[in-house]
Amino acid sequence: MKVFIIGAGQVGSTVVDALHGEHELTVLDTELSRLSAIAYRYDVATFEGDGTSRRDLAQAGVGTADLVIACTSRNEVNLVAGMFARREAPKAKTIIRTSEIEYVDLWREGQLDVDFVVCPELETAHAISRIIGVPAARQTDVFAEGQVQIVEFDVEEGASAELAGVPLRHAQFPRDSKVMAIIRKNEMTLPGGDDVIEPGSRVVVIGSPRAAKEWSALLVPGDAAVQDVVIFGAGRVGSAIARVLLDQRIGVRMIEASRERALAAAETFSKVRVYNATGLEADFLERERIGLAQAAIFAMRDDARNLYAASLARVHGVPFTIAVAHDAVSLAAFDQAGIDVAVNPRAVTAEEIVRFAHDPRTQQVAMLEGNRYEVLDVTTRDSSRYIGAKFRDMPVHGAMIGAIVRNGSAIFPHGDDVLEIGDRVIVFTEASNAPWVIEAL
Amino acid sequence: MSPTSEVVLPPPQIGPRRLIAVDIAASVNLLGTLSKYLGLVALFPALVALWYHEPVWPFLAAGAITSGFGLALERISPGSASSVGAREGFLVVSLTWLLAAGFGSLPYLFVGGEQLGRPLDAYFEAMSGFTTTGATVVTDFDALSHSLAMWRQFTQWLGGLGIIVLALAVLPRLRVGGRQLLESELPGPEVDQLGERIRQTVRRLWVLYVSLTALEVAILALIGWTGLDDRMNLFEAVAHAFTTMPTGGFSTQAGSIGAFAAVTQWVVVGFMVIAGLNYALLFRSFARRRPGLAFRDEESRLYAILLVAASAVLITELATKAIEGSEAPLRNGVFQAVAIMTGTGYATVDFAAWPTLALMTLVLLMFVGGAAGSTTGSVKVMRHLLVGRMLRRELTQTLRPEVVMPIRLSGIVVDERTLRAIVSFVLLYVGLFVVGAGVIAVDAAVQGPDVLPIDAISAAAATLGNVGPAAGPAGPLDSYAPFSDVSSATMIALMWLGRLEVLPIIVLLTRSYWRA
Repeated sequence: MKVFIIGAGQVGSTVVDALHGEHELTVLDTELSRLSAIAYRYDVATFEGDGTSRRDLAQAGVGTADLVIACTSRNEVNLVAGMFARREAPKAKTIIRTSEIEYVDLWREGQLDVDFVVCPELETAHAISRIIGVPAARQTDVFAEGQVQIVEFDVEEGASAELAGVPLRHAQFPRDSKVMAIIRKNEMTLPGGDDVIEPGSRVVVIGSPRAAKEWSALLVPGDAAVQDVVIFGAGRVGSAIARVLLDQRIGVRMIEASRERALAAAETFSKVRVYNATGLEADFLERERIGLAQAAIFAMRDDARNLYAASLARVHGVPFTIAVAHDAVSLAAFDQAGIDVAVNPRAVTAEEIVRFAHDPRTQQVAMLEGNRYEVLDVTTRDSSRYIGAKFRDMPVHGAMIGAIVRNGSAIFPHGDDVLEIGDRVIVFTEASNAPWVIEAL
Repeated sequence: MSPTSEVVLPPPQIGPRRLIAVDIAASVNLLGTLSKYLGLVALFPALVALWYHEPVWPFLAAGAITSGFGLALERISPGSASSVGAREGFLVVSLTWLLAAGFGSLPYLFVGGEQLGRPLDAYFEAMSGFTTTGATVVTDFDALSHSLAMWRQFTQWLGGLGIIVLALAVLPRLRVGGRQLLESELPGPEVDQLGERIRQTVRRLWVLYVSLTALEVAILALIGWTGLDDRMNLFEAVAHAFTTMPTGGFSTQAGSIGAFAAVTQWVVVGFMVIAGLNYALLFRSFARRRPGLAFRDEESRLYAILLVAASAVLITELATKAIEGSEAPLRNGVFQAVAIMTGTGYATVDFAAWPTLALMTLVLLMFVGGAAGSTTGSVKVMRHLLVGRMLRRELTQTLRPEVVMPIRLSGIVVDERTLRAIVSFVLLYVGLFVVGAGVIAVDAAVQGPDVLPIDAISAAAATLGNVGPAAGPAGPLDSYAPFSDVSSATMIALMWLGRLEVLPIIVLLTRSYWRA
């Protein structure tokens, strides 16, 4: 497939990184330095030009593309580029990135002539809300309209003896769930009955959202559902997070340093207590009992500020901290500083775009551990050689089926279940195996 | 013209310095136009006089004088009414009510006899009518002719028409006392031309006002016709519908509504409650057949809660003590609570004879009023609600200085300028009340009548809040006649100030209003 990418910034390069192996990529950007950085690392065509110039787009060959991704950091550029791409290549799918939730709503109402709209702010908010739902998780994602949840847990000392330290065949799992992978020191195993979940390792679990919560409770006993959250920063990201959390009836307080933005947030969210403060003064944190919150989310614009505020909040007693890392490089620093979860909006966005770029049968892709592992949501072909096979008879190499969606409802298959035509299969695999897995199903 | 030819500019003509920047000529011109048309309404009492074979000339003369005065004003003022801006609006609005009261007093001067014939008394009665207050100097109701009695009632109904324009079209544009809040609530489609939109809005609300009045006339007349109330007839039905809808409170009877049967009193209660609602909201609830709108509005909800609470307090007091009206505590309690809170000022009992505690309840109710955008006077429920929310915010921010709390009304954020306007309104209102009560009390001490402090307080509250009857000598079965001229003049000023929401008149007293 020919993929045309407009914008070689952080989202663009993450998309290139995920797609460069299997697809033929062309990247267009106005800045030569960014293009050469990409051309140096990946085998892709680059073109210096303006995404809002129809002539540049045509010259770069947008007309032959099968998929056009407009992912610069500017809404207007992406909208215009998406519009011209539609003219130049009427058959190509178009994806645009936007920072305005309004455009996402417009697209859902069918007012924007593009195939897909991704909003980093909204994707980040969804990612964070999923984490809030399962506090013990390092990472989590949902599939099949929310019926299937995949969660990556750190297994720590103190995990329930029903699960940890015993061979899987004797372990007591929550219903409707399955262990997809055990990761020890960067080494992944697709587990069999003899494998053991040990403290210090990580597990990837698939199951119903309810089972995911039960896993969380078993692995980190004593964790209650999060009902009271403080969000630092009421900009676009912070507001998107507040909106999503409020929808789930989670209580939200917000801290914003700019008076105007604080006021705007207070006007938008009638149920949110908004403070006009930096969130970096110990005095304020103490007076407002910020430490009593069950979780704090750091969505300010500056990673360094997020890091410091998160550390301070931990000092004041906030047990669960989630920080937005605008720069992928910050992730390691956040991890080192003891922040529980760090979310990179650009990575989340790239993931969303890559999902779309896969085979049309592939509805959704999640990436774990950077880009090393993928979770695919694939609809089986009539000609797949696994149709009619029992799960116990399927080969165990490089991939594991975690769930199937049949007639709209999720099944977490056991050894005797059989794969049928038209089943949507949720499968976990190493990224390098993904094309092969899709081919086989 | 060729580029080389020289343009000869006339020398600049700089006139003398103009001290007054308000276009007085245009204001007077508009006032003249209003006066010209106002004279025509005298035809209605003239018809009533004709029907009852009473002298017609007082009304025709009053009408002719008013219209003639209007024409003269138009003649002498070269300005055109179209150049009236917001600045002139304050002047025109303030003068309109003074002028209307002047017009209204003419028939009293002509045929008012002893009780209304004195100019100050006539002006008091007319001001009380056009401001829909309901305070009266009449002591002998039987002495009034049918036509003159109807004229009293009719001035209140006309005042109500004026208030609808004032409350929903004029004051919001002058940004008086938080009135701009209502601007967003005006019914009707958005028409580009602002003037057209206001005219349409006002017309619709007038239709609603007239329809409700007609409905009340029909129901009351039906009660009289079926014999449920033998004192009720078409004349009384019209007379009382005329003073219920504008929450006026004039009656043709010395005993006010107390002169009628219980069923009539309950009907009047219903219409008083409706009259205290926001007309714009009422219109939308009717026009879109969604009565739920009124219930979702926070102001209407608080209005209902206050009415119920006030009724409960009065019912308890009536039921537990042997005081005037104790024979029917439910009916009298509800009636008096509604009549006083909405500023109608009808009475079914002589509450002036109540003990201080019950009387204090009534005086407090005089400061409540109905919904903003109704024909009621006083502070109004919306302002109470918002001031309450501001206080709550201040208390929260004392403890938590960083908290940002926008103030909402029915979910919509109210801007800070509006809130400031509301606070200044409330301060001015309370200030005027204190000054008014002081003047009345001191004057009464010097010249009589013999009044208690609570009587002076209630008289000031009742006139400033456009309620009508008060305690002591000004009770519902008595009249304001005993007060001295100084007190009467003070109360005329209070009625006028209260009706125009204080600020438009106070603004006229500032230097910056008149200067460029």
